[in-house]
Amino acid sequence: MAVAEEVELKELEEKQEWWWLAEKMRSKRLDYLRKAVWKKGASGGLPISPIKYDLEPALLRVKLNEKYKRETPIMKKALIFADMLDACSIYITDFAQLVGSLTDAPSTEPWLGSGGIGNKAVYNFPEILPEPLEESLKIVNDVGIYWDQEGDGMDEYYKIVDPEDIAKFTAGAFAWGSPHGGYSGKNYEYFMTGERAFEDIIVEIDQLIEETEEKTIGPSGPDIIPLYQKINNWEAMKVCLNAGIRWAKRHARLARIIAENFETDPKRKEELLRVAETCERVPAKPPRNLQESLQYDHFIQILVRREAREGAWPARPDYYHGPYYEKDVIVEKNITEEEALDLLGEFLIRAYDVPLILAAGRWVREGLQGIAGTWVWTLGGVKPDGSDACNAMTTALMKAARMVRVSNPTFAFRWHPKVKDEVMREIFECIRHGLGYPNLRNDPILIANSMHWHGHPLEEARTWVHQACMSPCPTTKNGVQPFRMASATGNMAKIVEYALSNGYDPVVNMQMGPKTGDPRQFTDFEQLFEAWVKQMEWLFGALTRVVNLARTMAPRIAPRPFLSGISERAIERGIDVMCPEGERGNAWITAFTWVENADSLAAVKKLVFDEKKYTMPQLIDALQANWEGFEEMRLDFVNNAPKWGNDDDYIDDIMLRCLRECARYSHVVRDPSGNTWPILPENVSGNIHYSSIVAALPNGRRRGDALYDGGISPGPGLDKKGPTAVLKSCGKIDHIADGRAFLLNQRLSPTQLKGEKGYQLWKAYMRTWADLGLDHIQFNMVSDETLRAAQKDPEKYQEVIVRVAGYSAHFVDISRKTQDNIIQRTIQGI
Amino acid sequence: MATCNDCKHFFPIEDNPERGDCVRREVDPRQAYYTAREMDAAMAADGCKHFEQK
Repeated sequence: MAVAEEVELKELEEKQEWWWLAEKMRSKRLDYLRKAVWKKGASGGLPISPIKYDLEPALLRVKLNEKYKRETPIMKKALIFADMLDACSIYITDFAQLVGSLTDAPSTEPWLGSGGIGNKAVYNFPEILPEPLEESLKIVNDVGIYWDQEGDGMDEYYKIVDPEDIAKFTAGAFAWGSPHGGYSGKNYEYFMTGERAFEDIIVEIDQLIEETEEKTIGPSGPDIIPLYQKINNWEAMKVCLNAGIRWAKRHARLARIIAENFETDPKRKEELLRVAETCERVPAKPPRNLQESLQYDHFIQILVRREAREGAWPARPDYYHGPYYEKDVIVEKNITEEEALDLLGEFLIRAYDVPLILAAGRWVREGLQGIAGTWVWTLGGVKPDGSDACNAMTTALMKAARMVRVSNPTFAFRWHPKVKDEVMREIFECIRHGLGYPNLRNDPILIANSMHWHGHPLEEARTWVHQACMSPCPTTKNGVQPFRMASATGNMAKIVEYALSNGYDPVVNMQMGPKTGDPRQFTDFEQLFEAWVKQMEWLFGALTRVVNLARTMAPRIAPRPFLSGISERAIERGIDVMCPEGERGNAWITAFTWVENADSLAAVKKLVFDEKKYTMPQLIDALQANWEGFEEMRLDFVNNAPKWGNDDDYIDDIMLRCLRECARYSHVVRDPSGNTWPILPENVSGNIHYSSIVAALPNGRRRGDALYDGGISPGPGLDKKGPTAVLKSCGKIDHIADGRAFLLNQRLSPTQLKGEKGYQLWKAYMRTWADLGLDHIQFNMVSDETLRAAQKDPEKYQEVIVRVAGYSAHFVDISRKTQDNIIQRTIQGI
Repeated sequence: MATCNDCKHFFPIEDNPERGDCVRREVDPRQAYYTAREMDAAMAADGCKHFEQK
């Protein structure tokens, strides 16, 4: 590297302009691929990029639904999946070494069409429809009418779900998500260990079919009745697996055609022939090297998303691909470290490129600002035998992440006491570079947590990955949760709101929760708390009832033949993977807007019942007026009532009481496997989405103010006693038995944490975190100065990343309200 | 009548020449790429705006 270049890089490092440094450090290939991506998320509810919907898949899906009308639900799904894969366009971008996309072209997003509200949402975005607009609107209309009449499965659900439950759920006040959308866990221990790939699975299935068919031609009896459907299920799985192999081979053909007919650069020709060889190999056969391993993984991730919408991306890339990295880079030296970094960087970019559903409900676009979904990849941790699972790829991935600076996927690192210092330094470098990730998870705590709540055996619990942002999920046959409906996600500030309004929601004007008493008549705190508990029980019940029914009906209304074909439990039993038979269960209730409960209850206890400064009627009047005309009183409730995060037992005890009531009830509500539903406090950007939906609260908040940013994080600016006090408050929670996991956002000073001294300070802080038994922590390390500059001049700060909540986003891609909320977060001096 | 088989963008599949890949070069504001779609060799190409005689 030339001296002038080195000086420039040092200057950028000195000024902490990591995004410019990354641009200079990455290869020409990575720079091209990074800038080639069309952003697929939304900001302030609107699409970030001028991408267009591709309506052809919707038209094709209608044709195929007609063609395969007479098939069983699972076989129909499989045949449609296969035909759509055979018919779609594929593409290979210049410089790419990894291929496979959810879209037919880089700047489009597929629109599949559906009935009901989901379909109608696209009318809100005429700019996303292809020209000519009139033609597009006609297609959208016709497809919508077709599915309204045909039914897309959920109509069966809506016929039998409790009408009161679903009316309240869809009011948009307390429930986030939909009964049937969500994201799947993956049985990686079955298909990602190098022992088998699609052709091997097909052989296993063929054997099962053969054995079972023998039984169906034997003596008749009740025990052979279920066998017919099993055979049909297996056949459907095979249809999907074979379709996946064909689709991959199409990429091989295209790469070869380009190499042999169009490409003139000999080096690029060679690369394309290697791409061809890779796609001929995987996913049909197990991978043999790093490129094949990454390509195998990526193909499967795209295929599951071509089968169904997936809102998250559970993965453990260093664990499953690490052996190939070590073989190729360290042992056999088939590729250099730089060449490997190119592959890893592209692997991240390919994931970043994957869209969710842009014009889905507003709750998606506002709750997941700036990103397409919460792709949180799990690094580190331990092997099933308890030994350190970190390897050379763990650190290589973090180096690649600093180069490409995508906001998705992010990493979550499973910390344990035996993690080497070199790994911790890489983690710190990523945080110091302002990526907002990896977040850190306390592995011993979370393994114990998995065993406590869901009874996963120790070795299975140790395989865990993040199923979405936070919750661990094993990757084993009976431990994996094949689908998690996001609608077990509650706007929990409503609990305290309803306790103070006799269950009535003043924002949507409905009686939501039970009538727990006129709060003006409450004479002591226990009456209020009792009302709070009853509202919590009602809310937990309503969320889980809605999800449980949808999950149980899923094999009929939303079968997953492809996902079933890569899931050992489904194959072994001949069932759709969505059927809970044999599944241990791994459910949780995501608790948005959680801390407002403790802060509000503490404020009422102190100022009304202990100090008797105000009466309940006065408080209720003020809340109903949205604090208008009560500003002095409101500021009293803001400033002179205890707030969470200050190591103050007065409010910390209330927080623990709330959590432990939830924990108690989590053992009462059960999932379809009969397992528990523990609470998991975290937000995505639900604190912004719900800001106009949650009424005024006794913590001094007005309706319209942003809610707190995440999990058990203190309210912005309300933690006044420093970072150790925050950790101590959070450390009073039992992170094994009080809930599933607890998200903690912290903001650190980039100036204070410079250099080796900064690293040692951070390490000491992390020791305190670990000693106090917290399960999670994540950091923003970007100065106010940079963020304000990015607000003024977003073009110059395209790659500044911030940790929003359970995900990161590019700062310029989130709404102004969310930006301001992040800037408000206290910068902790450690 | 011209068919896909007559087009320079059409590449027959080796073990199934009745089918093939229609391959085109595309450039959008962010990237350049090659795209392919599988077609029948005998499919009528008269209405295709990308048709180029071999």
